[in-house]
Amino acid sequence: MKHLKAINNKAQKLEQAAAEDRIEEVVAMSSVAGCSTTTDPGWEIDAFGGVASLCQPMEADLAGCADPCWWPAQLPDLMTTYPRWYKNGGDSAKDWRELGSVFPDDK
Amino acid sequence: MDKKTLACAALIACSFAAAAATDPDKALKAGNEYLITANYPDNLNVIDMQSDKIYKSCQLPAYYGPGTIQMSPDKKIAYILANHYADIYGIEVDSCKPVFHAALMEKTDAENDEYARSIFSMTVSRDGKEVYAIINPSLVLSNRYEVQQPRLQVYAADGGLKARPIRSFPAPRQLNIMQAADDGSIYVAGPNVYKVNVQTGKFDIAVPSRDWQRPNHAPPDVLYIWDQQTYRHDFFQLYSTARFKDDKQDLETADFIYGFFDIDLATGKTETVDFGPLTEIYFTGMRSPKDPNLLFTVLHRLVKHDIKAQKQLQAAPLDHTYYCVTLNKSGSKVYLSGTLNDIAVFDADKLTPITKITLPGGDMGATTTQAFIR
Repeated sequence: MKHLKAINNKAQKLEQAAAEDRIEEVVAMSSVAGCSTTTDPGWEIDAFGGVASLCQPMEADLAGCADPCWWPAQLPDLMTTYPRWYKNGGDSAKDWRELGSVFPDDK
Repeated sequence: MDKKTLACAALIACSFAAAAATDPDKALKAGNEYLITANYPDNLNVIDMQSDKIYKSCQLPAYYGPGTIQMSPDKKIAYILANHYADIYGIEVDSCKPVFHAALMEKTDAENDEYARSIFSMTVSRDGKEVYAIINPSLVLSNRYEVQQPRLQVYAADGGLKARPIRSFPAPRQLNIMQAADDGSIYVAGPNVYKVNVQTGKFDIAVPSRDWQRPNHAPPDVLYIWDQQTYRHDFFQLYSTARFKDDKQDLETADFIYGFFDIDLATGKTETVDFGPLTEIYFTGMRSPKDPNLLFTVLHRLVKHDIKAQKQLQAAPLDHTYYCVTLNKSGSKVYLSGTLNDIAVFDADKLTPITKITLPGGDMGATTTQAFIR
């Protein structure tokens, strides 16, 4: 961890827990509370620090990333909260206009 | 024949082809080679690898996701992780009928529901009698959630449509894909690759990953969620790492490289092999059944590698990203699947495109595609 610096609340809590030897108490819980509790950051940049190695087109990566909460900031939580986001067939290359914002009543 | 008659004939032919492709009772033929994959909204597709056409599509009795498929040893039942990682179904592929169902979520009592998901972590034993899954449970209490210890669940394959675990053992966290070995154990990938005794629940490290002790190598980075059953009968995962010049471990001068972990499921022999520079990202790789020194990898390009020479032999551009690479038994054709709803077929020798197979329905996402001979 020497190359990493905590910059948000969750990361600071993790750091604090590690310092207090309570690291086992901090565990991911994506399967219940939704994607906001995962530690996946999503793919804002690729492994080389650019964007050329992100999936092309982004729709190709949509189901594979949305299903396991890989893009928690950008996509609805399909695993728990909005599992029917793809209700219109799920052909995202063709039907991408139907994959829109979600609201509490959509649950 | 006038244009209208031609159009009608074409429409009838297309309708007939669509009906044949989705005929749920169309049995698979002994000796034929098939590719099986799943896609949105609820399809399990069988492709004839002789003609590279859709042979049939079954409708899953559940919502999709993630589409991890494991074939029973007799190639009659496709076990699929479905309903957003929450249920395992066994589908008899000849009839499309569900013959097995295990809900991973266990209701403990009226007050405390236990929610659970399996993250791509499911397989079937080599004798076909047991189904295994790692589940990640949490208790939902009235005022809080409590994360529970992950568990290895063992189900009887003949447990029917309300299968409950016949054995259950505590498991490490962060486990994902798994494969069954000939000796009755299973190998499960996670922070390390574990060999698991499914009778006692004992986890032993078979291949160190997070805990590897390779001098002047950074810890490996592994993202591998495609649980493929290969003709070579191996358990394969890619990794990337940094190889330092010396013990100063300077990242500026390090070589960034790709490699793979490979376990022979018949003998238990393990390999950790670097095979080339990290110049692009690959999501999956498969060694050729014809020549295990040839490795095919894919994400944005289809690439063929000479493992021993650590050299890229050929690369083919793709019209979109694919996640999952599969070879036929003779090693002559490469199938690219996952992401959208088309499967690209390539000639393995020339690395030139042969055809595309468009599936009915939507995205494949992170489905695991399997090739097999009935």
